[in-house]
Amino acid sequence: VKLSFGDEVEAFRQEFRAWLEENRPSAEEMAAEPAISSAHVPGWASRWARRLFDAGWLVPGWPPKRGGRNAGPVETLVYLEELTKAGVPRTTNPQGLGIVAPSILDYGSDEQIRDYAMPILRGEKSACLGMSEPGAGSDLASLSTRAVLDGDRIVIDGQKVWTSGANDADFCFLFCRTNPEAPKHKGISVVLVDMATPGITVRPLAEIAKPEHPDLNEVFLSEVVVPRENLVGKLNDGWAMANGSLAHERGMVWLSFVVTLEEDIAAVLAEAPAALERLAPAERAVVADGLVASAIDSAAARCLGYRGFAKLVRGGSAPEQALMKAYTSEAKRRLALRAAELGTDHTVDIGSTAASDPTWIERYFVSFGGTISAGSSEIQRNIIAEKVLGLPR
Amino acid sequence: MDLELSEEEAALRDNVRAVLASICPPAVVRAAYEGKGDPASVWARMVELDWPALAIPERHGGLGMGFVEVALVAEEIGRAVVPGPFLATVTEFAPAVQELGGDGPLAAELLGRVAAGDTTGTVALAEGGRWEPAAVVATAQPAGGGWVLQGAKDAVLDGAEAGEAVVVARAARTSGAEGLGAFVVPRADLAATPRTVIDPTLPLADLVLDGVAVPADRVLAEPGAAGVAEALDRAGQQAIVALAASTVGACRAIFERTVEYAKDRVQFGRPIGSFQALKHRMADMYLAVERATSLVWFAALAIAEDDPRRAEAASMAKAAAGECQRLVVQDGLQLHGGIGMTWENDLHFLLKRALSGDALYGNAVHHRSRLARTLGLLPQERIEEVVA
Repeated sequence: VKLSFGDEVEAFRQEFRAWLEENRPSAEEMAAEPAISSAHVPGWASRWARRLFDAGWLVPGWPPKRGGRNAGPVETLVYLEELTKAGVPRTTNPQGLGIVAPSILDYGSDEQIRDYAMPILRGEKSACLGMSEPGAGSDLASLSTRAVLDGDRIVIDGQKVWTSGANDADFCFLFCRTNPEAPKHKGISVVLVDMATPGITVRPLAEIAKPEHPDLNEVFLSEVVVPRENLVGKLNDGWAMANGSLAHERGMVWLSFVVTLEEDIAAVLAEAPAALERLAPAERAVVADGLVASAIDSAAARCLGYRGFAKLVRGGSAPEQALMKAYTSEAKRRLALRAAELGTDHTVDIGSTAASDPTWIERYFVSFGGTISAGSSEIQRNIIAEKVLGLPR
Repeated sequence: MDLELSEEEAALRDNVRAVLASICPPAVVRAAYEGKGDPASVWARMVELDWPALAIPERHGGLGMGFVEVALVAEEIGRAVVPGPFLATVTEFAPAVQELGGDGPLAAELLGRVAAGDTTGTVALAEGGRWEPAAVVATAQPAGGGWVLQGAKDAVLDGAEAGEAVVVARAARTSGAEGLGAFVVPRADLAATPRTVIDPTLPLADLVLDGVAVPADRVLAEPGAAGVAEALDRAGQQAIVALAASTVGACRAIFERTVEYAKDRVQFGRPIGSFQALKHRMADMYLAVERATSLVWFAALAIAEDDPRRAEAASMAKAAAGECQRLVVQDGLQLHGGIGMTWENDLHFLLKRALSGDALYGNAVHHRSRLARTLGLLPQERIEEVVA
């Protein structure tokens, strides 16, 4: 165990920091045109992706032709730390850069890489991920959107739901059933579907907070026809990709969980002393204890994450990683409610305009997105119990 | 930050675990509980293996390792519910001697004796159930070239057994961080009353200091000398983190036993570990153990590398270990069902060790309240007002 990764890594940090200082989008630029969904790529974000790509700073662990510089995992961690400190998002299409592009690079054809993966990396296209359905949420393998191979075309019928960014995405990485006779995990394939294809209807779902900025959508597919070459990887091999997709997502995503939790606790601790002044001493002690618990949560999240990461770097498995999603999302949720309660009589206020920053009570409701989506906390506990602790199914 | 054990650290941990499995199996713990065993033999073996010398500088005859190694051993000590003087001697006494005595002749003598296994020790700090140096009211008055101590100390770990105690007392009419001093008193000079505690492997005693005379050459830090409060804090952080490590070690053992039990125990025709209600509780136990372990290692590192975050990290580690204990003791016992309630099953040794480890050197509530102050959420309280 050591507090620092050593001089070589710190030199790498300085190199990236200097480049970032020169090339980053300005705060004004970003504020003038905020991304309003997870597949909305404003002009600045597109230009930023291109600069990152060209300089080999988009995915440092990849080779230069894919926007990287063959950096190791420790350097990648340092890179993400510096981006976060600078307050610059790496992308405004996280599922595109983090899941869809890497999956296509792993499983797709040369043409799919050229036409779908590389444009994401260069900020020219954005993607959504068509997984959940009304009848297939936590039980994703039960999905029933049907894709029928018909000569050189694929015909798709069905419905997706909770599809982040479908309202702005250029294409969808769509999971569908290609063999209804096979056991449910063995009849799933992935197809790339341009969102402009006739037969697709996207209905944004206004959310519990900030209903005017929907990111989640229902996607209806009715006799949607795509060319057969849009099949990704092998037919009926989609479940491996679903697991692969989530692995991409869970590789380094813990750091963003940690960092957002740290940003939240820092914001709350900054406003807390003044707010606590208004409370009676007994109330104050109770509320302060809750905030201390959140501060410990945040420090522990960082330590847990770095410990799991160190195990991966040494080439071992890291069961800590399985804990990170449920733990950090629940810690964020606890903190949001404590922060709202800190506002005493203002607990229930929400922003008066669509452009207002969300208040803590709104963020509390938004935080359930973290404990429900991408494998709910309950699913995470099942995974830990069965895969890590080896408890019987 | 690299928070995984290096090969050497992992090898040390594995070696310590293997040694303890052989010299301190559950039968030895049971014997200690039932007053039949001879814990001195466990300690004698540790001395042979140079464990007391681990973190003592080489110039004093030690091995010169760091606090991370101490914490790793402490974790294993808790895991095996080891009775005997390791925690008090190596994680309380030696750090206090080193932080307070610096390079003086008394510190050199005592550290040399600890490293050689010639003495055991402890620290007599707490009064009135409070562990902060500022809460000390025991006094030290100059007399005949030496000092006379007056007052009382409570919950001194190994207080009736340790060969030497570092006794913290203050100059008359001082308060807070001012006027604090530290004295080395042999067991024979202390009136110790052993307490009847739930875990006899962490024995506590109350001490009465009724005119204890300390010669000038047994003064570790003169009352009012510069930096005494800070040295006490620094030593205290080591005791706190070692105790947290030890508590987490016991918690991890409870957790592992519980998971194994849930895999084996069959009811309704299936292992009870297949029921989701139980799975989720074990997943939460796992999280609590890993969370506390991570904070303990970070705190140990902060101490080893003398990082400015060491005080905050130590309180976080102790609070997390205490919170971990609450969950793991409760659900570990609950999931064992009736068998966990019996004296015959070894589980209760671990449960009591985990719980006692939380209670000493400030429990989770105490350390959270410390953090509330350092984070600026509550006003700094004047300890002497609380004590009064």
